[in-house]
Amino acid sequence: MSWSINIVCSHRRPIRWGTKILLVFAFVALGLAQDANLHAPEAPVAGSPAAIGTEGSGSATLYLVGPSSAVKHDIELGKSVSLSAQELQSAGRYVATICSSKCNSVTFFVAPAKPANVTFLVHPSRAPVAPNDAVSGVALAFDEFHNLVLTPIAVQFQLTAKGSALMSRNAETRDGIAWFRTSSGRSAGPLQVTAFLSGDVIARRIVQQVASDPCSLRIKGQKTAKGIVVETEPVRDCSGNPVPDGTVVTFTAKSGNQTSSVDAPVKQDVARATILAKGPVVISAASGVAMGNEVRIGGGN
Amino acid sequence: MFQTAQTELVLIPSAIRRRTVGLAALALLMFSGLSVFAADSAPQVTLSVAKVGPREVEPLTQRSVVRDYKFAWTNLDLALQSNSTGLMNGLFVGPASAWLSDEVKGQKQNGISSRYSNQIHKLDAVFYAPEGDVIELHDTAEYDLEILDGSKAIHAEHAVVHYIVLMTPGADRWVIRQLQSVPQF
Repeated sequence: MSWSINIVCSHRRPIRWGTKILLVFAFVALGLAQDANLHAPEAPVAGSPAAIGTEGSGSATLYLVGPSSAVKHDIELGKSVSLSAQELQSAGRYVATICSSKCNSVTFFVAPAKPANVTFLVHPSRAPVAPNDAVSGVALAFDEFHNLVLTPIAVQFQLTAKGSALMSRNAETRDGIAWFRTSSGRSAGPLQVTAFLSGDVIARRIVQQVASDPCSLRIKGQKTAKGIVVETEPVRDCSGNPVPDGTVVTFTAKSGNQTSSVDAPVKQDVARATILAKGPVVISAASGVAMGNEVRIGGGN
Repeated sequence: MFQTAQTELVLIPSAIRRRTVGLAALALLMFSGLSVFAADSAPQVTLSVAKVGPREVEPLTQRSVVRDYKFAWTNLDLALQSNSTGLMNGLFVGPASAWLSDEVKGQKQNGISSRYSNQIHKLDAVFYAPEGDVIELHDTAEYDLEILDGSKAIHAEHAVVHYIVLMTPGADRWVIRQLQSVPQF
């Protein structure tokens, strides 16, 4: 059994054995020289320079395609190729390809840098005092290049009103997110909600706490020349906060078989209405779920 | 009582055999062409909400997220294939939009283009904000990625890539705000 290599030139003249062997070695050597192997950078971090190692010799083209970049460079094989901080700003998967006679690729991941910003979503912008789970917040940790930082980070949420701390809660981000939900405070006014990330990254939001629904109503009436003037005492919620102006109080007047009602908005803590009625009248008031006392005017009371 | 299996050799005239082989080759070509066309269709997207919290994802929201995520990836593929940001249709906002625009710009400058074909996306909703203003998804994406310099393919692979996705509700759709690939979840 014999091995033979038949290489034939274009004009069909057989090549000598020595030449054949030399040619085979040349092809193998050329193949080795142009087999452009490359090595991914080790644990690259967003916004930091890195290098790709290459093997072989001669010139080649490097392509780097990442989440926010696509670059092409002429390179020398056998030397490491520097990747600038700008080329690696976005965290994620990169494909580095080197092409000479053939193309070889390597993929690698760039990790986010340390947290530098926090996106803090707090709801609602106005919250009634006292209800449970009235205020919620979501904190998302980002590095300076807007990559979501996925390693767990300690977050502290703080709620303060009028200088005193109402709530402080420690959490840890999971996949870049930490959140809380809590009751609002007891008194109306601005509520400051703060998220502290790793101590030095801070975001603050303000929730305006407003009085809840009226808790109880007390009314009083007086007969005048124009009719019966009826008004509430200052209307407050169950925590003692004056309800906001515009809160509607409904006055209902019963005179014999007739019933009439009128809506009056609270203005400077008090709602007022004038009722035109003849004879004895029973007047009551309601706002939301709160019922007021009854007042009898005329007919001896 | 045993029977021996016998193979009967039927002799077919060579002309008929050639025609049969030709027809078979043609049929194979047609079917392979069809299968290529069918495989390179719209992305397949499924969503699981089994692990989500603290808010449940309403069925209507689930449908909208799947619809818009699918649409977004269709347009991402088109944008990177044709190097045109006009195809993004407002489905990417904030950092996701900026990153994609920069990638398209870089590709265009260097004569590169990319193709994401045969996409399969398995989405897991992992966080849905109490007020419903942000949803975080884990996408296990599978696709054929091809990178070309002009018309020359420089890289081709069947890739399985994990993405962390942040979507927020827009005026009439859910939009991608962050699309960040990670080595693993």
